[in-house]
Amino acid sequence: MYADYAYLIVAMPVLAFVLCIFFGWHLPKGGGFFTVLATFGGLILSLGIFKEIYPDKIVHQSIPWFANFNVGILIDPLAIVMLLMVTFVVTLIHTYALGYMDGDPGAARYFAEAALFTAAMLGLIYSDNLLQLFIFWELVGLCSFLLIGFWYRKPSAAAAAKKAFLTTRVGDVLFLAALVLLYNNMASLNLALKPGEYLLQFPVIYAHIAQIPPTQLTFIALCLLGGAVGKSGQFPLHVWLPDAMEGPTTVSAMIHAATMVTAGVYLVARMFPLFYAAPNALTVVALIGAFTGLFAATMGLTAFDIKRVLAFSTVSQLGFMMAGLGVGAAVGVAAVGVSIFHLIGHSFFKALLFLCSGSVIHAVGTNDMREMGGVGKYMKWTAYTMLIGSLSLAGFPLFTGFFSKDEIIKIAYEYGVQINYLPYIMLICAATLTAIYTFRLWFVAFTGEPRSDYHKHESPWIMIGPLVLLAVFALGFGFFAQSGFYQYLDTNFEHYGVDFHALGVIGGHISEAGAAGGEGAGEPFIVKILPYIIAIGGILVAMLFYYWHKLDPGLVTSERDPIRRLLLKGYYQHEIFTAWFAETVVYGVAILFNLIDIKIVDGVLNKISEVTVGFGGNLRKVQTGVVQNYITAVVLGIVVLVIVIEIGMKVGL
Amino acid sequence: MNYISLMIAIPLIGAIISFFTRTRAQARMVALIASLVPLAISLQMYMGFDKTSKIMQFVESYTWIPSIGVKYTVGVDGIGLPLVLLSTIVSVLVIIYSWGEDKRPNQFFALLLLNEVGVLGVFTALDFFLFYIFWEIVLIPMFFLIGVWGGPRKDYAAIKFFIYTHVASLVMLLAIFALYFTYHMPDGSRTFDMLTLLQATADPKIFPPGLLNIIFAGLLLGFLVKMPAFPFHTWLPDAHVEAPTAGSVVLAALLLKMGGYGIFRVILPILPHVNKIFVTVIAIIAVLSIVYGAFLALAQKDLKKMVAYSSVSHMGFVTLGAVAFTWMSIQGAMFQQFSHGLITCVLFMSAGTIQHTVGTRVIGDLGGLADRMPKFAFLMLAGFLASLGLPGMSGFVAEFMVLTGSYATLPVFTMIVVFTSIAVTAGYHLWATQKVLFGPILKKYLQVHDAHSYELFSMSMIILLAILFGVRPNLITDIMGVAAYQVMGPVVTLTQMGVI
Repeated sequence: MYADYAYLIVAMPVLAFVLCIFFGWHLPKGGGFFTVLATFGGLILSLGIFKEIYPDKIVHQSIPWFANFNVGILIDPLAIVMLLMVTFVVTLIHTYALGYMDGDPGAARYFAEAALFTAAMLGLIYSDNLLQLFIFWELVGLCSFLLIGFWYRKPSAAAAAKKAFLTTRVGDVLFLAALVLLYNNMASLNLALKPGEYLLQFPVIYAHIAQIPPTQLTFIALCLLGGAVGKSGQFPLHVWLPDAMEGPTTVSAMIHAATMVTAGVYLVARMFPLFYAAPNALTVVALIGAFTGLFAATMGLTAFDIKRVLAFSTVSQLGFMMAGLGVGAAVGVAAVGVSIFHLIGHSFFKALLFLCSGSVIHAVGTNDMREMGGVGKYMKWTAYTMLIGSLSLAGFPLFTGFFSKDEIIKIAYEYGVQINYLPYIMLICAATLTAIYTFRLWFVAFTGEPRSDYHKHESPWIMIGPLVLLAVFALGFGFFAQSGFYQYLDTNFEHYGVDFHALGVIGGHISEAGAAGGEGAGEPFIVKILPYIIAIGGILVAMLFYYWHKLDPGLVTSERDPIRRLLLKGYYQHEIFTAWFAETVVYGVAILFNLIDIKIVDGVLNKISEVTVGFGGNLRKVQTGVVQNYITAVVLGIVVLVIVIEIGMKVGL
Repeated sequence: MNYISLMIAIPLIGAIISFFTRTRAQARMVALIASLVPLAISLQMYMGFDKTSKIMQFVESYTWIPSIGVKYTVGVDGIGLPLVLLSTIVSVLVIIYSWGEDKRPNQFFALLLLNEVGVLGVFTALDFFLFYIFWEIVLIPMFFLIGVWGGPRKDYAAIKFFIYTHVASLVMLLAIFALYFTYHMPDGSRTFDMLTLLQATADPKIFPPGLLNIIFAGLLLGFLVKMPAFPFHTWLPDAHVEAPTAGSVVLAALLLKMGGYGIFRVILPILPHVNKIFVTVIAIIAVLSIVYGAFLALAQKDLKKMVAYSSVSHMGFVTLGAVAFTWMSIQGAMFQQFSHGLITCVLFMSAGTIQHTVGTRVIGDLGGLADRMPKFAFLMLAGFLASLGLPGMSGFVAEFMVLTGSYATLPVFTMIVVFTSIAVTAGYHLWATQKVLFGPILKKYLQVHDAHSYELFSMSMIILLAILFGVRPNLITDIMGVAAYQVMGPVVTLTQMGVI
């Protein structure tokens, strides 16, 4: 019964968008309660649908759209867990925003855009075909653009918004190419589709992957991956994500930590059968993911802006998720469950961390950690919920992050045994750095003495409430949900009868005869306890430097240290991508074309008209400006035309 | 009911009345009414149109100059009807947008109506003679709109526009004559009937390949200049920069579509019978128009010139989709005509509104206008997003269909377009909007007020339509889907259809 109303999950936030944009200006808090209610309604519906379909049913609805395409809703285990997570986290963030955005003159615009974002994100999750997914994918990108630039009068915010849109657009170009390729490959199979089946529907794609040539599969998978890399801030398209922190903190929490940026991971998970069948595609996924995980963590170590640290951390954690999917080359479809579990756990504790830091920023009035210090004394709730979030992110035993990240590292080890250890090593290093930078942040901000004169008060309850709820999940979700979650997600592709063995043979993961590599029964002891060591060890290192002050960061690095400068500059990516590539290469080509256009294409024309002596000059005399003359001319012209034809016919043409 | 004749006659009568009115209030009211009636008629035609039929509908045919085989024949099918709708919609909105015009308003509105007469005639004429007359009529109002209401270099721009497109039209006319003089009806007489002549081009006994190739090239030139396609596009930026806003809107939204219409109506039926080299040539022209146009747009400092080059780029999709010759791509190309016609209106209206509220269009001199013009900023941003191909609006659907469809026959060309133009297109649109609308408001613009309500009305209507056709493209793609089959199949004459 709930499933019949599944469309409302998107329709309600759209309605909230319309209400906010037209009436929000005259309502208290910008009409934000519309947005909260719409999202909460989505949560209720999602719970209802979950109850109906758990454990072995799916929902699939579809209507024709235009040409060979349809619109539809597909709710399978993968989609429902995402729906539940997004509606839950986003409801809390919207509620928090009621307090956070209170008094901002643009609150109505904020809540309208936030509602539109919610609609697009939820639509993305339960799309039943790739085109529709792409459309919502672009719409979440639009909302991200609008919300990063929410304070549009600030030049840095406007620039960050543009950068975000354009960088993700580069990924989207690849996604679009993947759509074109996939559609044409599917079309050339000349399938006899049943009524209600369309070429880009996921069930149809899953059923025919094996018939597409493997090289084409790899092209398609890599193009899709390009889209995912752009959206999920993976190397080398991650440059927009730290800048995106120019938006309000709630936006950072909602879009750039918990939900939208995970869309890339979701896309790869959604298309996992295709990636699995495409030779070498998953290897690329694993390497990009693991490298991003490590690369971003190093930058997180040096940043001073509290939100930028969290942003680098997000990039790094998304790298973990990507790597988790990529190592599926060794462990098969179980990788989807592992990766999505980390995605969901991460969205709880990362949303929590962002909202906590928002609470701190709200009170202190700056993003700079160096001006905080000792905030914990005055903001107990914020400090302890943030501690829970930090422990979870660092992977402290029994916290959510421990279960989810540990599992990714474990399957990365299995991948290492079978294929190569590179992703495993990078992930281990990244996890160590994660524990260090997370606690650097927490100790610097919340302990010690105040380093500036800030407002010493706790945030209002409408902001604390969501923090507490998220903290509960950041603490307990991993422990209570893990095994059930894996079992449920492992059934996801069974609904479509995907034969992973056959696909694995195409992809070269499984030899014709042999089964997939055995379970990692033979893990050495050190591999088993390594996650404990790095989590606790990392926290201890951070304590040495920033809590007990036994060691001075100056011992390790100094102002002139080139490595430190490299990290602070973010590996000079801004200089390379924006200053060099966009402004010099692309703009240079544009200027060159402009010259060609003026000098050659138009120049030749002007030469011709000069040669045609006085042509223009004579015509100028005809331009008398008296309309009657022109009408006379037209009539005369027609008469002449008729006469010419008459004569032509007489002559016998 | 003689829907089409009525639809063409009423703006003509309106133009004459408007020309002789004395006040602006009278002129614009006459113009509004004389454009609303064709809109109502075209909507009525849309409702009454049989969407599943390939037959010409609402056909009227009268003998006109029997001695040379000229008839007054008009009618619409899936190729023409969407453009007729586009013309009537845009004409109404552009008249509303120009509500405040105070330089010779009677002539101004008369010319806008005369322009509507011309384009409606082009999109409905089924006789080459009639087609050519309407084709030329369109030049007149546009020449005056640029020459009288234009900017500082209006004389140069008007004459360049006139000569350039007129020379191309003459070449097209010669090609039409060649068709006319080569083909005899069974009874020995000659005819200008479009469908009959086009059908005859399929017969190599009547049109030997050498002759047909020359005719084809002549017709093609006429249409490509009008679109305009690289390298025949240089008249467009000059014309746009100097033209008044209403002139630019009409020029980009309707006049360019005549070129695209010619491609579907005339070029595609002949394409299968001419040398295959033409396909490659046209595809190269299309790709260059798209990519080169996008880069040129990025290089412009004048907002209006940027928008003008974006038209070159977007119209390239029409050429690409048409020459790729698959069901999906032709449909997409037709939809691109319709969609670009709508979206480009907002872009030129935005440039125009900025010009007369702020006094400059140089992107570098603008900044932070969203602060003082929030409603305008919202609509301009929406328009630019639509133009860069944001899903949910019509431009995306069109470009997606063109690219998906073209890949089947022109994979390399399609992928070049995907990889080189789409990100650049997003780049220049966003760069311009960000510079113009966002950031801190410049001191000199503190006194600027928001756009007039009639300007906002026209812009918001276009945005709504772009969203409507982005969400429900099937409102019009159903018609185009049938038309695309029709274009790909052999030409059927009106007599064979049983219409006359």
